[in-house]
Amino acid sequence: MNETLATSLVGIFGITGSLLLLGSALAMFRVRDALSRINVFSPATGLGMPLIVAAAYVFDLHSAGFSWSSLLMAVVAVLCLIIVSSVASNTLARSTVLSGQPVFRKTSPNRLAFPPEGVIDVDSEEG
Amino acid sequence: MIVVVGICAVILAAAIIIGLIRVLTARDQGSRAVVSDLIYFSAIAIVTMLGIAVSSSVVLDVVFLASMVGILATIALSRILTRGHR
Repeated sequence: MNETLATSLVGIFGITGSLLLLGSALAMFRVRDALSRINVFSPATGLGMPLIVAAAYVFDLHSAGFSWSSLLMAVVAVLCLIIVSSVASNTLARSTVLSGQPVFRKTSPNRLAFPPEGVIDVDSEEG
Repeated sequence: MIVVVGICAVILAAAIIIGLIRVLTARDQGSRAVVSDLIYFSAIAIVTMLGIAVSSSVVLDVVFLASMVGILATIALSRILTRGHR
């Protein structure tokens, strides 16, 4: 793998991944509440970071040649980023709802505000 | 290689600065938790780019371990949000 190919591949993966991270950082300003911020965070960990892992792997391939252990490490890193980060985001979203963080007032339909139909709210006043 | 990695580092530095501004101006705790997680991953990406720039041989190990450990920060933040309850 010659120098220019490695540089261009690292560049493509790295800059795309960095732009995705920058995009989700900017998206944190556009959405108005914590739950939507967890939502717009997923491109960063779902695609941005795997691309940066790919850039690291291409560089590793270029500098140290092919070896199964680094290939396995790269694949496990990507799988880990996708699976582990989504588990963490789900946990964070659950605790955000449980801890009563404010939901953006213009959210409609706001299914968190009212129990779904047919569910008798045990501790509601008029019940 | 250095130029490419430099561009990535500049973009990621911008992402971190924007994230820090968002953390400072955020009113609720949940947003701070999420944006701090984003800053964590941007920092990991910058460390990776630094590793590529100095052509170190442990770049892949750094990213691999950092993405595995990343969940601990998020779980800790979510536990803080619910004041220690599950």
